[in-house]
Amino acid sequence: MRLIFKNLNVLRSTINAISTSVEIKEIVESAGNNLPHLFDFSSFGIFWKEDLLLFLYQEESCPSSFSQEAVKNMINVFSVLGEEAVDAKRVTLHIEKRKLKGKQGTMDRKATLKSHLTLPLAVEGEILGCLSVNSDQPNAFDAQDLQFLSVIGYQMAASLKHFQRFSSIKNMATYDTLTGLYNRRYFEERFEVEAQKSFHSGLPLSLVMVDIDHFKKVNDTFGHTEGDQILCKISSLLKNSVRRKDTVARYGGEEFILILPEAALQQSFVIAERIRQLVENTLFEVGRVQVNLTLSMGISNFPSHRVKSKEELIKMADQALYDAKRGGRNKVCIFTEKSSQWTVPT
Amino acid sequence: MAPTVRKDKGVRLSSDLVLGLYSDLLTELWEIVSALIGEAILAFLFTLSIRKLGDKHPFLHSLQVSEEGISWEKLKEDCRTIAPDEIHRGFQGLINQLSHLFSALADGVINKELFPKVFPKVKEAERIISQQ
Repeated sequence: MRLIFKNLNVLRSTINAISTSVEIKEIVESAGNNLPHLFDFSSFGIFWKEDLLLFLYQEESCPSSFSQEAVKNMINVFSVLGEEAVDAKRVTLHIEKRKLKGKQGTMDRKATLKSHLTLPLAVEGEILGCLSVNSDQPNAFDAQDLQFLSVIGYQMAASLKHFQRFSSIKNMATYDTLTGLYNRRYFEERFEVEAQKSFHSGLPLSLVMVDIDHFKKVNDTFGHTEGDQILCKISSLLKNSVRRKDTVARYGGEEFILILPEAALQQSFVIAERIRQLVENTLFEVGRVQVNLTLSMGISNFPSHRVKSKEELIKMADQALYDAKRGGRNKVCIFTEKSSQWTVPT
Repeated sequence: MAPTVRKDKGVRLSSDLVLGLYSDLLTELWEIVSALIGEAILAFLFTLSIRKLGDKHPFLHSLQVSEEGISWEKLKEDCRTIAPDEIHRGFQGLINQLSHLFSALADGVINKELFPKVFPKVKEAERIISQQ
């Protein structure tokens, strides 16, 4: 009876820990920390379908052949439950080794998977993944173990579902659904942070406003579906042409904006000019024809341009973009007090 | 419409009777297995099995399973026109499929609990039906 109470207490704290976790890794860790108090097992795994992640907590002496067997078994069971084959090569494996077998116990180097309990992580009829406890001993688990694992699995599935919903809301609030770039809302948030950092430290910050020339013609001639595909292709070119620390966002319609932290005016011009040339030299397939497109860009920079607020920096980049359009398009213009110029700054 | 009957050996075996047998069986299976793996997972496994067998035994789609349990009303209504043999084969397939899933999930842990209580009744149901 005392053992049952002890186990129920462990179960209660496991569920508490899982339900208060907000990240998938945290959810997995909560379970991983508590499960050894409930079962004797060689490895414990969680497979998360959405991101094809498989977390494996295992005894530190566990041979790699055993881990492979456990992974293979989980993926096989999931494939049966999820009615879809999972390509094991695409699954990202995270293995964490712990001392699970007590002070003296170690696993045989030739140990094989002899028994397991695997349960689907299912909520509202949807399968999110599966969890599994594995052992190198035959008949290692009984009905009570299964009951405990199912209670933990239920809580874990509910928490993972919350996490999934939260991630999807967070994604919607962060990314542009068409292009996959950051959206304007995220840009505002990021720009606020970068501007504060620069204004405080004096480090340079550049803003590049980008517009596709004559994009309306593309939509009018080829239709909005083709137009959307062009937007996606240009978004991808932009994303691949900047540094890791830069932010590329869709500002609206066919307008994009680039935040280039710690980029001086000269450097930001080089980046923008490279993008302009890249787009100019790319043939975009629209239906059965290939078209050339060009970009106009406007740059503002702190501290080169004496700005007092981030709003001013946006206005200046916008003004420079306007000048690039007025100057004949397919240009990169830098904001100047009188009028913008489109030569390389000295 | 009256229940379908078979009179080949002079004994009437109605769809209602076969349905009654399997309804008792699956209710018992639900009670035993839900205590082990929870209603949510069990309902998921039932749905999965019904989806898998639904093409072969379309009447199984009328079996409504949720975390609340198994609801028989719609199935009882829909099965009145279905031959008892077909009902028997459909449910036999369902129980086999569930048993296969239980083995894949938990080696013999679930079936070990299930076997002594439910499988003699499966055999009994099979015996009754085969004698008709």
